[in-house]
Amino acid sequence: MDVPGVATGGLARRRPRVRVVRLRIGRGTLVIPPLGIVLLVLVGPIVLLALYSVNLRTNIPGTPTAFSGANWKDFLTGSANPFRERFFYSMKITLLVSISATAAAYPLAYYLAFIARRFRYTLLLVLIAPFFTSYLLRIIAWTDIVLNNNGIVNQTLWDAHLRAHGNGISWLLYSNFSIFLVLFYAWIPFVSLPIFAVLENMDHQLIEAAADLGASRFKAFWTVTFPMSLPGVIAAFVFVLIPTTGEFIAPLYVGGPNNQLFGNEIQAFFGDSPNWNYGAVLAVALIVVVLVLMLLFGRFLNTDLRTQRGER
Amino acid sequence: MGVTGIDRRQFLVAASGSLGLGLLSACGSSSSSPSPSASKRPALSAEPGNLSILEWPGYEAAGTKAQTYGLLAGTEYTKKYGPSGITYTYIVNDDEALAKATSGGPFDIMHPCHENIPDYVNRGLVQPWDTSLIPSFKQLNPYLVRATQYHGKQYHIPWDWGYGSLLYRKDKVAPADATGWELAWNPKYTGKISLWNGASTNFEIAALKLGYPQMDSLSTSQLASAKQALITQKPLNKLYWGSEYTQEQPNFKSGEVWINYAWQDSLVSMTKAGLPAGFLQPSQGRLSWICGFMLGAQTKNYYHAHAYVESYINHLAAAQMTNLFYYGNSNATVTGADIKDATLVKALELGNPQAVTTAPNHLQSWSPNRPALELAWQEILAA
Repeated sequence: MDVPGVATGGLARRRPRVRVVRLRIGRGTLVIPPLGIVLLVLVGPIVLLALYSVNLRTNIPGTPTAFSGANWKDFLTGSANPFRERFFYSMKITLLVSISATAAAYPLAYYLAFIARRFRYTLLLVLIAPFFTSYLLRIIAWTDIVLNNNGIVNQTLWDAHLRAHGNGISWLLYSNFSIFLVLFYAWIPFVSLPIFAVLENMDHQLIEAAADLGASRFKAFWTVTFPMSLPGVIAAFVFVLIPTTGEFIAPLYVGGPNNQLFGNEIQAFFGDSPNWNYGAVLAVALIVVVLVLMLLFGRFLNTDLRTQRGER
Repeated sequence: MGVTGIDRRQFLVAASGSLGLGLLSACGSSSSSPSPSASKRPALSAEPGNLSILEWPGYEAAGTKAQTYGLLAGTEYTKKYGPSGITYTYIVNDDEALAKATSGGPFDIMHPCHENIPDYVNRGLVQPWDTSLIPSFKQLNPYLVRATQYHGKQYHIPWDWGYGSLLYRKDKVAPADATGWELAWNPKYTGKISLWNGASTNFEIAALKLGYPQMDSLSTSQLASAKQALITQKPLNKLYWGSEYTQEQPNFKSGEVWINYAWQDSLVSMTKAGLPAGFLQPSQGRLSWICGFMLGAQTKNYYHAHAYVESYINHLAAAQMTNLFYYGNSNATVTGADIKDATLVKALELGNPQAVTTAPNHLQSWSPNRPALELAWQEILAA
């Protein structure tokens, strides 16, 4: 096929040479608009936060600004700093939720990938259907309908005469349990997706080969299926770990005074209490932690995925 | 406590109070003179008319889509100028209000409580009202009017007021325990107490409990003691509630908590719901508060803003607000006769125009060490 302007064989010799001017746009040029937006709306605010954290900016008119690392020093090295301790508490909750949700999502994803067969996408849709509703509404539903003193759980216990009427279980709401439960519920369908994706794309002949070589079903799972699904497991774990690190909505609605997470501290400094300088220290510290986590887990994830592609 | 109509004695008390207020307002009202730049200000017809208002949920003008509670305040304004130009930004407590006013504005009208007036003025967020542009201003309770002046100027038009105390279940709390603010520290009720998620209010409560009547001017050592008291009290709380209508009242109604920090409207609501509720009269005195409207320093809707406030503080609008939300209102012509609920008339002490501003009630006031107090509150939350 002749392409105008492209010199090909004898045809080009018979035609007069026409110099075609092309606007050469490098492939990288297309990245500029989204990159600009990212810099503007993501990196820009982080830089601003950093400036607030060292007192080079203030949200209170008339307050002098001058570089100061006092807030950082207080947060990082202050004796029994409550915000630092709250951070470690939050990380424990976050890890608990991430590990539990990933562990619980695995059998779910396994069922969808290997057992549900032609119904798997229908079941997947059913699984994520509640999540077309607002996150906030679902949390309020947990609070008002399920967990509170007059909620479904306590009403059932009262109706079954397992507890005296009016005497509800006190730890159901505004507790570590309620925060764990709501976060677990909120993330499990999403966590199951990357595991499902890996399991579904797995070469099933490898499992059959393991069986042919005499491996039991459990051994085949443990030595073939599970190792090959690890990238999905790690992706799922990261999927829940990163966002829950800064979670504040669920603890705000279902957590008690002693169960608020680090995100709530940040929100309070920016929302209720006009001390953006200290809040910025907490926010930047959280960003650093999240970046470290992403680098850490992202590396494992990339390596494993490449390996898996190479094996195919 | 049943809901009954107003009796003759209550009517007479309320009427005499109203008469006294009328006389006082005739001789005691303040009128700020228009600012020097008044002549340069565009006329009402030249203003854009797009009011941006920092407001509590529920107080939106009647006629706007945002108003879903049935409040009639604002009717005159929206009928005259239309509802479409009004936009609301919401607040849930005064700390958040100040933060939003500082960083999220500029707003034409803000609705803070009066203890925040110095902060708004000193940050250059507001300007004084021209009270001559608000006809119903002359009807306002002069005690409230005076309490809301700053540097001799009317920066704040009082509208709603009330009391803060502990609302408690009479069938769950022993009468001997319901004597003072120390009820919130009673370990007998661990997990059944819920204070408000408000820094200054909780420090005021702690200060009164510790015997510091100057609750808003705490010394460094008093602040430290109050902080320690609140840390001690924290584990007794089921939650620090943030929303009156989605947390405070529902939790009290469901039995999740028996002792709440609350305003008097919750007493009326819970009583109407059939709960045996009591509104504590602490031996140290209750908290009292006045909220109202402040005019944005950079407003381009100067005359619209005045018209808007007039449509809120006039007799009919003010009386309806009290009947709807059970808060007091600043219009002194509203008497017990205008209020449908006798429980409310009693709870508001409508016969006493000075009730909210004098002992035994403690009017919440500006705190000079607010930044230290707020940081201390964050530390309590994180502790």
